[in-house]
Formats: sequence, structure tokens, C-alpha cells
Amino acid sequence: MKQRLALMLVGAMMPLLAADEALPPAATILDRYVEVTGGKAGYEKHKTEIETGTVQFAALGLKGMLSEYSAEPDKHYSTFDVEGIGKVEEGVIGGVAWENSPLNGPRIKTGEEKAQALRDAHFNAPAHWRELYSKAETTGVERVDDEDCYKVLLTPAQGNAVTMYFGKKSGFMRKTTVVAASQFGDLAAEMLASDYRDFGGVLMPVKRTEKAAGQEFTITINDVKVNQEIPAERFELPAEVKALLNQPAK
Amino acid sequence: MRVLFLLAFSQLYAQPVERQLNLDSFEKVWTTIRDKHWEKKPAGLDWDAIHAEFRPKIENAKNTDEVRGLLTEMLGRLHQTHFAILPTHIYQAIGDTEDGDGSPGIDLRVLSGQVVVTGVDPGSPAEHAGVKPGWAIANAKGHDLTSGLRELTADPAIPELVITRALLARLSGPVGGKTKVTFLDGAGKTVALELDLAEPRGPVSRFGNLPDTHVWFESKRLGDAEYVHFNMFLDLPRVMENYGKAVADCGKCGGFIIDLRGNPGGIGGMAMGMAGYLVNKQGMRLGSMFTRDATLNFVINPRLGAYTGPVAILVDAESASTSEIFAGGLKDLGRARVFGTRTAAAALPSVIERLPNGDGFQYAIANYISEGGKPLEGIGVQPDEEIKLTREALLAGHDPVLDAALEWTKKQRTP
Repeated sequence: MKQRLALMLVGAMMPLLAADEALPPAATILDRYVEVTGGKAGYEKHKTEIETGTVQFAALGLKGMLSEYSAEPDKHYSTFDVEGIGKVEEGVIGGVAWENSPLNGPRIKTGEEKAQALRDAHFNAPAHWRELYSKAETTGVERVDDEDCYKVLLTPAQGNAVTMYFGKKSGFMRKTTVVAASQFGDLAAEMLASDYRDFGGVLMPVKRTEKAAGQEFTITINDVKVNQEIPAERFELPAEVKALLNQPAK
Repeated sequence: MRVLFLLAFSQLYAQPVERQLNLDSFEKVWTTIRDKHWEKKPAGLDWDAIHAEFRPKIENAKNTDEVRGLLTEMLGRLHQTHFAILPTHIYQAIGDTEDGDGSPGIDLRVLSGQVVVTGVDPGSPAEHAGVKPGWAIANAKGHDLTSGLRELTADPAIPELVITRALLARLSGPVGGKTKVTFLDGAGKTVALELDLAEPRGPVSRFGNLPDTHVWFESKRLGDAEYVHFNMFLDLPRVMENYGKAVADCGKCGGFIIDLRGNPGGIGGMAMGMAGYLVNKQGMRLGSMFTRDATLNFVINPRLGAYTGPVAILVDAESASTSEIFAGGLKDLGRARVFGTRTAAAALPSVIERLPNGDGFQYAIANYISEGGKPLEGIGVQPDEEIKLTREALLAGHDPVLDAALEWTKKQRTP
């Protein structure tokens, strides 16, 4: 009888133990990610970053170049220049998120699209996840490529939640999924991150494959310059965007 | 003797080969719909049950004609447009076409049962040879186009767009080559010409895996209206820049006329970008595209200094895809008046592939609903003012569709 009770207890405890073992608190997983990629101190040494690389839409046969400029606390400017599409610029400065392209011209982002852009522009975002998300919970384990990953659901104070997948073994963020707000509506988007490399003491994924609305493209980062001075005008709003901000609302 | 034996054997062998090609064609059609239709359960059908029903019928079919009928019946169960089997004879009726971009610089349409020149590119071999709009084309490369055309137009399943493209292909060939064409001029006199095949009009545009495409854009002032005409929604940076300049040149001019006749489409997003120069309110859209994984709203981003005067769009049965999204959306928004004839009804990203048995298979991979709540696919954009080109008008140097648009823009500014 005692043995039977013991077995029952063991049986009852097993799912609990398994759950405990499989699902550590989200904070532990997120903090471990910061640790394995350079530690909080490592991130804090970064004040500016300039990334350069390529973008490729393999199925469409399109290729282009990208440059991204980021600086504390939330300044961001990037360009994608793809053959047949032209140069697409995006930026965040002083709480304004904008885009300018040959296709659609200048545009100010609003609502969830803006909130998302502001979060993305937050410098050293991994080390500041507590500021960016009001809630984080581990929701399961899922395989991403060759590694089992913890699924962590991150909910911002405002806007759509993001699910990030962190390698159980490596600790690296391997994938994110989100319902991304865009000018075309909400779109389910996925980003696979791989090939982490050291840039100024912080490991960053240099290969990022993004999928949304049936399109897939891969960004390959060739170089990241850390703490190189970025002229202030790099982040300034382009004249067309300023003109949009200054026009009366319709 | 051995040859006769082999011939006899080949005849015996032909049927199993044809049967296998037809089975392969069936599998290709069925799996394509299963994997690429925008609904996981295509049109609410049990697609596996469709396979179970049709596969034995295809296996027992006596010939390709019967298979074609069965495949058409299977696609008909979808009750959706742009799913079609295009018989091999569509590729044969006008003769084999040669590969190559070389063009004599002629645009053509089928008007009242005749193949008629509707445009001659400036500086082209056809212009140098004195070819005029309105001339009929009787024969190309020794092939009687009139009888080929009769055969093609007798089949209602073959869209006008496909026929026109096939006829244009008949005139083309390798750059540097020549094409023999027999015309009937305005007086009904036969004019036989050997035309050079030159690079098509406009610079080459490259866009990913698409073949190199010549894209041209023209704009000019006609009276008090600005007129723009371009052959494709491609070469985005250059075409958008020129289009923006045309809008700026127009300023507060009396009308903005966009000629999309013969424009088969291209980059869908350019419809939104161009509409942004003509709309000054936020939150408007041309329509929505539904794929298996996402809904894409074709939202218009208004440009600063957008043109607010009357807008006319010219279309015909060769205006397809992005042209239809643009014209249909602006018509639904009440922002443009559309002139010409009904568009191709091919707004969806649809693909035409050759099947193993030689037939063509057209299928759509997304659904598109214009802002007015109706699909464009299979319906097209019905012009506000239906005006047909005629050979007589072309011979007299008129373009009745453009004339009507100019007349309308004039009336809009009359107090």
C-alpha cells in the first residue's frame, strides 16, 4: 500500500518535475541569453553600432545591400537598397518612426506599427528586456533546426506579443514569431537567427531569415562596427518626413 | 524494312506514352491546386476525394481530348475563375514562335475579326518602313493569321489577352533577324514588308528571376491634361520617379490621364504607390489580396502635393493584374473615371505552366477583392465609359478612347 502510494506520488510529481525541468522561468532564459551573448557589462560597453550586409530574396532572385545605424538610447536609421526596388529608408528618432521608399514615398508610422518600431530601435534591446516587456512567460519547448528551444512569450505594455525561442543548450535566441503590424495590415512573421559571431564583445546572429506573407528573405551581416562615431545628421528626419509631420491632419 | 518496323512499334508505343503524360498532367494539376490554392480546403471541397474520383477516369480516358475535358470538369468544381486548361492548339494555331526579344515595334489588337496595328513604336523598324496604325495584318512569317485567329476566337475558353500575346509573339524573333509581314493598308492594298527585328522599346529592366524586360514610360501634355503611358509596372525606381515628375508637371492642370491599355501588370505594390499621388486622405485602400497565409491590404499612402483634379484611366482587354488593381481600386474609390473596354479579368497572381501532355494549365495562387467588395478575377474592370477602338478611327488618326477621356476632363473644369 505504501509502495502504491509512493508510486502514485511519484506519478503525480512526474509531470510537475518534467514541467519544472522543461520550463524554467522566462526571466532565467532571457537573462541567460544576455549572459551567453556577452553579459550585461558587455552590452553596456556598446554605445553605437553600424551594421552592413546583404539581403537576398532567394525565391524571387532579388539581392541588395543593407546598412543599419543604431545608437543609445533609441536612435535608428537603416537602408535597404535592392535592385529593381530602389533604396528604402527607415528610422526612429525622438519617438518618431518613419519610412521613405521610391514606392510609397515618406510615411510616418503610427499605432502598433510605431510601438513595434520603437521597441526594435531600443539600443542593446536584449539587455533591457525588462523595460520593453511587461510580462514574460515560458510556454513550452519546440525544436528549431537542430536544437530544442524554450518558447518564451513576451508581452509589451502596448501591442502584440512576441514569441522568442532560446536554445536549451546554447542559450541563443534562435527564432522569433510575431503578428507584425504593417501598413498592409497584421501579418504573421517569423525570423530565424543563426551563426552568432563576436562583435566588440557581444555575440550577434549574422544570418537572419525572415518570412512573412509568403515571402522569405535572408539578411547576412558582413560587418558590425562598434562605438564608431555616427554623425548626428545620420539620424535626423529627412526633409520629406519633416514636411509630413508639419502638415495639418486630414 | 527496319524503319517500317520501328514506325509500327512507335505507333503501338504512342498510346501508353500519351496515357502516362496525361496521368502526369492530372497529378500536376491536382497537386498544384492542393498546394497552392489560397484556401487550404480549395473552394470548400474535399480535394482528396476529388483525386479519388478523377484519377480512375483519367486512367481510362481514351485520348488527350478526353483528359482535357476531365481536367476542365475537375477545375470547374472550384467555381473560380483563372483555373483553366489551355489546349495545345493555342500554341499551334498561329504557328510556332521563335525565341527572342526582337520586335518590329508594332502593337496590335484583334478588332472586328482582324489583326490590326494599334501602335507603332517611335524610331522602330515598323515606323521606318511606314507602317501605320489601322493597317491590318494578313500574314506573318508565311502564316495566315486570319485563319489562325478564326480558330482561336472560336474557342471562348481562350482569353483575348492570350490571343493578343500569341499574335505579338508571332511577329517577334531574334534581335537582328527579320520578319516578313503582309499588311492591308487603309486603301485595302496589300503591302508586303520584310521588317528588321530590333531591341524592344525602352531600357532593359531587371527584377529578380523575371526575364529581362524592356520598360518604357512616356508623359506629355495634351491640351490642359497630363497624359502618361507605360508598358509595365516594373523598373520601379525609374517609373515611379517619372510618374512623380509627371504629377508634379501637371500641378493644377485640368486632368491626369493614365493609359494602361496593353499593360499586363508587374509589381503589385506600384498600384498603391501610384495611387498615393492621386489621393490626399489617409486610410484609403485599393482592395485586399488573400493568400493561404495572409491578407494584404493595398493601402494608399497619400503623397504630399497629391493631384486632386480629374483622373481618367484608359484600359482594354490587355490591361491585366496590377493595371486592374489600380484602375478597379481608384474607380471603386470614386477617384478615377475609367474609359475603354473591359480589362483582362486577370487580377490575381496567376501562373500558366505547360503540362507534360503539352497543354497549358493556368491557376491562381491568391484571391483579390477590390475596394468595392467585388473580385476582379474573371470579372475585370468594367469601364465607366465603354469605347472600342475601330480600324477606321485608327486609319483616320484618331484614338476614340483617349479622345473621350480628354473630352471628359475638359467638362470637369467647365463651371
